[in-house]
Amino acid sequence: MSAGQLRTAAEPKPVPAALQNPDAAAQSRNSDRRQRNSRLFYWLCILIACLSVLVLGVLLLSIGVQGGHRLTPTLLTSAHSELNPEVAGMWPSIVGSFFVLLVCAAFAIPLGIATAVFLEEFQPKSAWLNMARGFIQLNIANLAGVPSIVYGLLGLSAFVYMFNVFGQIQVNESTAWVIAGEQRFYQVRSLETGQIVLIPQSDPTQSKITITGPIRGVDAAGNPVDIEVWEPGTPRPTDSEIKRRTVRLGATGGAYSERSWYFFRLPLGPSFLAGGLTLGLVILPIVIISSQESLRAVSPALREASSGLGATTWQTVRFVSLPVAVPGILTGVILAMGRAIGEAAPVLIVLGAAISKDSGPQNLMDNVVTMPLLIFDWAGRQQATFQELAAAAIIVLLVALLLLNGAAIYLRQKMQQA
Amino acid sequence: MPIPVALEKREFRSTASKLWSEKLIVVILATSALLTVLITIGIVAMLLTQSLEFFRSPYVTLGGFLGGTEWTALQAPELADAKFGILPLLSGTMRVTIIAMVIALPLGLITAIYLSEFASRRIRAWLKPTLEIIAGIPTVVLGYFAILVISPSLQLFSGGAFDTFNSASAGIAVGILCLPMVCSLAEDALQAVPRSLREGAYGLGCTPFETSVRVVVPAALSGVISAFLLAFSRAIGETMVVALAAGTRATFTADPRQQSQTMTGFIVEMIKSESEFGTVQYYSLYAVAITLFLITFLMTLLGQLIRRRYRESYQ
Repeated sequence: MSAGQLRTAAEPKPVPAALQNPDAAAQSRNSDRRQRNSRLFYWLCILIACLSVLVLGVLLLSIGVQGGHRLTPTLLTSAHSELNPEVAGMWPSIVGSFFVLLVCAAFAIPLGIATAVFLEEFQPKSAWLNMARGFIQLNIANLAGVPSIVYGLLGLSAFVYMFNVFGQIQVNESTAWVIAGEQRFYQVRSLETGQIVLIPQSDPTQSKITITGPIRGVDAAGNPVDIEVWEPGTPRPTDSEIKRRTVRLGATGGAYSERSWYFFRLPLGPSFLAGGLTLGLVILPIVIISSQESLRAVSPALREASSGLGATTWQTVRFVSLPVAVPGILTGVILAMGRAIGEAAPVLIVLGAAISKDSGPQNLMDNVVTMPLLIFDWAGRQQATFQELAAAAIIVLLVALLLLNGAAIYLRQKMQQA
Repeated sequence: MPIPVALEKREFRSTASKLWSEKLIVVILATSALLTVLITIGIVAMLLTQSLEFFRSPYVTLGGFLGGTEWTALQAPELADAKFGILPLLSGTMRVTIIAMVIALPLGLITAIYLSEFASRRIRAWLKPTLEIIAGIPTVVLGYFAILVISPSLQLFSGGAFDTFNSASAGIAVGILCLPMVCSLAEDALQAVPRSLREGAYGLGCTPFETSVRVVVPAALSGVISAFLLAFSRAIGETMVVALAAGTRATFTADPRQQSQTMTGFIVEMIKSESEFGTVQYYSLYAVAITLFLITFLMTLLGQLIRRRYRESYQ
């Protein structure tokens, strides 16, 4: 019995079928399949990667075909024309974009770099400050994700209306605090046909004046004159020089304001200043994040060397970190400006949808049209001509973007060489 | 890295006056950092106060706003007839966003895998700038592309089943817009995966496909998810494409062939109509905006928090 048991125990255990008879064919099939899948995936990757190149190609080609023949000097020099699209152009929008970008850069770049320097270079000294720093950092990342149209609404409240601090907004017009640059007059017609005299307005609430007697005024050129009064029934002066500064008794005149280029009031209203500041809010997080990354790339050894030489933190920043990080910061800033130049939604909300302006801004509070706004308006129209004009304007916008990006690359290379 | 001039000259002085001006500078810098917090506070305060005006109106209820299936703020001739239900706008936004994500997420992820795992140096040198150019194209240009090319092609291939303005063409354009963003964020995440994991997978006999899909992508999953969330929030907030290509009728359906007004599209429409300040319609703008802000803010916050986690896990 026991011997039999032993015998069975000594017998070789049955080997699993798969091991006993290695199915080389199945294994190699399996391996082939896996290899094939891998190759398929590789080609799928290439195909999809090419797709993005293809999309870009189709986009540029279709816009080029649609708008190429509208790319004329007229487009660059004239203004939008509602009735005659053949001669419509985008000059005011080019100037407008330029001014808006200028304000945007002046606002966002210093603020963004200052914030980045603060967050990167000044290490918090307590746990509490460290938490605050983390919070600010998270907040900036979140701001970068806020839709630009929400910034537009913030701009509308904060810059255009200034939270109604300077007077409640009336229907379609706002009362404002004029700070500088505005002279208000009443316009009164003089006896000489087609000539007017101007009388300075003393009470801004009075929108009309009625002439009751001789009064001090200015002529059209701005020189002070004594304005005389002619009573109907008495002999009318004949000398044209006198007629020019004489008005009929009881004549009325409406208010009129002359604005210098430095005209400034609060709230800002739908002006290019408000538009630029709003765009500044949009790109601020981008400027901060890219500046931070450039500062982070500065080798800590340089900072330590600077501290070792006895520099304060600010001296280290000013003379060591910033000079080294400047090429990177500059690239980031220019890329952010590229974002700003193409941004339409916030500008649309702040400046309104009207595109009929025929010149650049005349004063600080003037409304402007920007390139994306013009493109948006033209692209939304039915007429084929405006559609083509939109494509041509897009080409101009893309060229402007290309120049900006080219400048970024050039500056970076130049500074890295230096 | 060039050595700054100041370090070579070695002429730093931390005098008492320098230390004082240093304090001043720190205060200035801190103020500018705090300003960013102020911007967030400003956004929230503005949206809250203005949309409160909206909900205070007798024509509006919170339930009707959140559950209503009709939005006729601009179409209704009388205020009493106007319906303020956010669902049609929300469904419009969702249709556009989902189509955009169906395009941007797989394509962006696969392009990222290609760039991070397979692409040769020469192909990278072509592909990266292309994606950067697409990322830099102004959105209004993509909107124009949607009405110039995408919508007519859809109509052509479907035999006219699509409206002139439809959510599909807007969605495709938004998808193109989000693709570079998904791609670059996902590529960052894939490249943060340590080399040893890949080598381990190859050592076990994995094919390149298995290595990237079964090892690298799962290892970078949190980063990939955060890329998806950030792109999702970007698509929801996208404005000019939908304002041009999605149409102006707020429809409550799931049909991508129809016109659809999104939340952002309504805001633009409202601004263009130059509605009077202080009317219920005007304030409805802010009610829509706060909904938009809440959704995108939560998405971005979640995306950022996940992103931070994965960054920490491999450093």
